[in-house]
Amino acid sequence: MRQSYKIAIIFLIVMGFFPLFSNSAWLAVGTTFLIYAIVAFSQDIILGRAGAFQMGHALFFGLGAYTTAILNVHYGVPIIYTFIPAIIIPLFIGIALAGPIIHLKGDYLLVATIGFNIIFIQVIQNDIFGLTGGPNGIFGIDVVRIFGVEFMSQRAIYYMSFTLLALTLLIMRNLDGSKYGRAMFYINKDDIAAQSMGINVRYYKLYAFALGSAIAGAAGSMFAIQYSAVSPEAFNVIQSIMFFTIVLVGGSASLPGVLIGTFVMFVLPEIFREFQTARYLVFGLAMILTMILRPRGVWPVKFGNIPNYLKKKDTK
Amino acid sequence: MDIFLQQLINGLTVGSLYALVALGYTMVYGVMKLINFAHGDLVALSAFAGLTIYVEIFGEGKNSILLVLGVFVITALIISLVGVLLERLAYRPLRTAPRLSAVVSALGASLVIQNSIMLIWGPNMKIFPSNLFPSTVWNLSGVVFTFTQVMIMGISAILMVALYIFINKTKMGTAIRATAIDQDAAKLMGINVNKVIMTIFIIGSALGAVAGLFIGINYRGITFDMGWTYGLNAFVAAIMGGIGNIPGAMLGGILLGLFNAMISGYISSEWAETFTFVLLVVILIFRPTGILGETIAEKV
Repeated sequence: MRQSYKIAIIFLIVMGFFPLFSNSAWLAVGTTFLIYAIVAFSQDIILGRAGAFQMGHALFFGLGAYTTAILNVHYGVPIIYTFIPAIIIPLFIGIALAGPIIHLKGDYLLVATIGFNIIFIQVIQNDIFGLTGGPNGIFGIDVVRIFGVEFMSQRAIYYMSFTLLALTLLIMRNLDGSKYGRAMFYINKDDIAAQSMGINVRYYKLYAFALGSAIAGAAGSMFAIQYSAVSPEAFNVIQSIMFFTIVLVGGSASLPGVLIGTFVMFVLPEIFREFQTARYLVFGLAMILTMILRPRGVWPVKFGNIPNYLKKKDTK
Repeated sequence: MDIFLQQLINGLTVGSLYALVALGYTMVYGVMKLINFAHGDLVALSAFAGLTIYVEIFGEGKNSILLVLGVFVITALIISLVGVLLERLAYRPLRTAPRLSAVVSALGASLVIQNSIMLIWGPNMKIFPSNLFPSTVWNLSGVVFTFTQVMIMGISAILMVALYIFINKTKMGTAIRATAIDQDAAKLMGINVNKVIMTIFIIGSALGAVAGLFIGINYRGITFDMGWTYGLNAFVAAIMGGIGNIPGAMLGGILLGLFNAMISGYISSEWAETFTFVLLVVILIFRPTGILGETIAEKV
């Protein structure tokens, strides 16, 4: 895992200096990349680490975005205070939704989480309580103000996203080194073995869900600030599939893999706008080809070295 | 009472369609333990291909039973071919790979088919001609049902009975059931597993093709992304009945169709999908193996 620390540090340095060499159009692309990378990492906690087949992650991303948008536009709450509910609400809804179904085996969980995402989209499209603005969404979200200072330049938003991504990476580093992270990896490898060793599989999976949902909610809040608008199609099932695919095409629990996946899925389409119509066709082909050529992802994670005394003795 | 009977007819119609599509999902899942996400898009492809064959090749206007039958058979053949190609190119190389790799490959295949439809036929809704089936309408004391609806229910029932007999009474059907139980043991008994998998893709795709044509004929408007809606509903139906279980898929399809129709008739069609998935989650909580599914103890 040491290699991934180096990559993380190099990545943070590169992204930290990126605004100095780019104009605001590129900064917007960079901000999009950072926000989607945060969501992809939070998906990786649930799918890549705890091994729970979550295919409705855009739901929690959207919950965070809509929480910020509704509180700010309808109730006039300053953006900076909406961060906290945008983390807490997805966290509790994540626990409440995943709680009853977390014991389900693989594919069943996958379909149930797709279902949650579809319900979420239907709820916001039907303009529930007149708050979500229906298919048009909500626009006119305020800029961030702290003590009367407006943070509205693209560079300020970039660095806010950057800070959030750095925090996410720190959380994931701490997670990997903790009892929780080890339990998740064990559950991912073999949940029956983990259970028989006394690991509370349900608890740790829910923990991963809660953590992933909370981080996705924070990213959603950033999304609302970046675009100053939210609408249902940014959080539909196809987005969930994209997050799911990023983790598996890049490589489960692999930092460089998730970054490459995010870059390919969300940044390349911004650069090559002329291929917009054929975008998903190319993605589909790329998904099939990657899985056939590298079933464990483009950059699969390696779990250290096997100690010498465990290796098979050379019988001469 | 009129609403109830009317929605019963509508529910049975859409339920038969779900059941036809669900059979494709459940057979593939039973043998390969893979959600074939691309199956719904094959259904959509069938509607578009059928439309083109009917309008462009046969030409509208002159109509006969033989011609309509020809459209069905040719479309089913084309879609079966696509289904077999799909398995060859996207699933077979991944048969021994980790489960999730095959899921991603299936999602990729779904995107490829869906967007190919969009690039070939355009992103706008296409309208099916209304004269494929006679536009006879019966009205029994306020309850309306059309010739098309009767055909959908009748032909679906015939196909399902035929499939049931095929699976339970023929040599190939026995081979399919054996492969579903244990692929390696089936191989050791001399069953050609590749041939079995090819057969289920042919049957599943052909049934999906029939469903796709019926969707076009009955609802007229077809869009390139409708495969997801029908596919997801059909997959939910397959899970409700017990995935991997063929009578379960039929029962699940009919029940889901009725449930959808009753929700649309009595509550609101805007919330139909929400109710579908709430029902799914409730079933998964209380009976995770579905209505007809058997509980299997997990072996380590």
